[in-house]
Amino acid sequence: MTKQEIIQRLRDAMKASGELDVNWDDVTESTAINSLVDSLSILDLIFEIQQEFEIEFDAEEMIGVDTVGDLADFLAKRIQ
Amino acid sequence: MLFAGSGMELYLMGDRRRVVITGMGVVSALGLDIQTLWRNMLDGKNGIKPITTFDVSQYKTPYGGTVDDEQLTSALAEIGIKPVDRTLDMAYVAAHQALLQSGLIKEGAEREHQDVATVFGTGVGSTYSIYASAACYFEKGMKAVRPTTVPRCMANVISSQISIRYKLIGANYVMVSACASSTLAIGNAFRMVRDGYIDKVLCGGSDAIFNPGYYCSWNNLGVMSKNPDPEKACRPFDRDRDGCVLGEGAGALVVESMESAIGRGATVLAEIIGYGESSDSTHITTPSVEGQARAIVMAMKMAKIGAGEIGFVNAHGTATRANDSCEAGSMRLALGDAVDSIPVSSNKSFFGHMLGASGAVEMVVTVLGLQAGRVPPSRNLDNPDPACDLNFVGPESIAVSSPVAMKNSFGFGGNNGVIILRKG
Repeated sequence: MTKQEIIQRLRDAMKASGELDVNWDDVTESTAINSLVDSLSILDLIFEIQQEFEIEFDAEEMIGVDTVGDLADFLAKRIQ
Repeated sequence: MLFAGSGMELYLMGDRRRVVITGMGVVSALGLDIQTLWRNMLDGKNGIKPITTFDVSQYKTPYGGTVDDEQLTSALAEIGIKPVDRTLDMAYVAAHQALLQSGLIKEGAEREHQDVATVFGTGVGSTYSIYASAACYFEKGMKAVRPTTVPRCMANVISSQISIRYKLIGANYVMVSACASSTLAIGNAFRMVRDGYIDKVLCGGSDAIFNPGYYCSWNNLGVMSKNPDPEKACRPFDRDRDGCVLGEGAGALVVESMESAIGRGATVLAEIIGYGESSDSTHITTPSVEGQARAIVMAMKMAKIGAGEIGFVNAHGTATRANDSCEAGSMRLALGDAVDSIPVSSNKSFFGHMLGASGAVEMVVTVLGLQAGRVPPSRNLDNPDPACDLNFVGPESIAVSSPVAMKNSFGFGGNNGVIILRKG
């Protein structure tokens, strides 16, 4: 799966869940993660990602994941 | 004696700040604003309808006072809120109306922090979120349970989220006392203002119970009506009543000191002149005449009124055999023969028993009645039960001239709350 495919799948999954108050169509590779979530809602983001991609990880593992592009790289290493 | 204690006598009879209501809001099966609710009640409309959101084919009571989903979603969108949990969602809508009417918020204006407390009541809290979380756990295991279930399902979520959204920096908490929850919340708000802790409190209640994980328990408890006709099922004080019908909704009121209201030019809708509370201390579900009467007498002592001054009573009137006969007995014990001249009615035949929210919504109806000098009709009271020997309002609304009304709430667990109001 390419980086852009991961980002699009993330957008689609988050839009479908409706959990975060974010306009996911405006989210790009360079969007800062902390502009989308706070310290609580990031748990919802992680939860939705885990459910969508069927992977597990903790927030503590996301060191250096500052943008959506970073997140896509992070997920690419974990998706089978 | 119905209650004892010289300290209590001094407290009840002492002069303290006057407390008034300056804003109200409702969400109910008969409307998501106070004007619509009031108009539908005067017209004798029925808000109890078949439950359609899950399979109730095996249920003995497949109907209830359900809030229209589209209307609720629309109301939330109008105030810029995405649905989160139904109990909280309805509380938001009611709270917004109350704050708007009171003038504490204005549409389109930037919100500043205000020293207003937030005290809400709920009988069962965030049932939808709790049920969804439990379903996830049992269907998919512990890792499928959302981490934010904790702040979504905690019992104080209603008051906390409202205080956050509307920037209310007074204390916020939720009171849980079954069907008396929001009346006790309003009573507590009254005391906070009366005793000078704070000038203003946003108070009320909310309950949403029509999800299968929770509603099934009521179905199995056996206290709900089994009447096949939703129109006729809820029959408070009627000889042929066979149980309650549940509802969902929210009510909110802004309670503040008279000085604060006058000082900022707010409209006084009504004054809270008395509040009484007690425990039956007898049984977890069966009510007690003496326990309820204690709360009524306490409220009257604080209001410094005699029974003959009460213009009408908005009863708890759930339509169970036990509650209605007990409530009739407690009113007669507390009010004596004067009760024969006091019009009594229950609102629950219109929109069901909203559990913890019932006190707040029915308090709003009581205030509307005082303002209009009118009491809505009694629905389905075709043959008043001789065992409930009171002066019931009939099938037509009636005019009332007295400016004083009483609202009773009596909950499982022997929790009793009574509030006496005077027209503003």
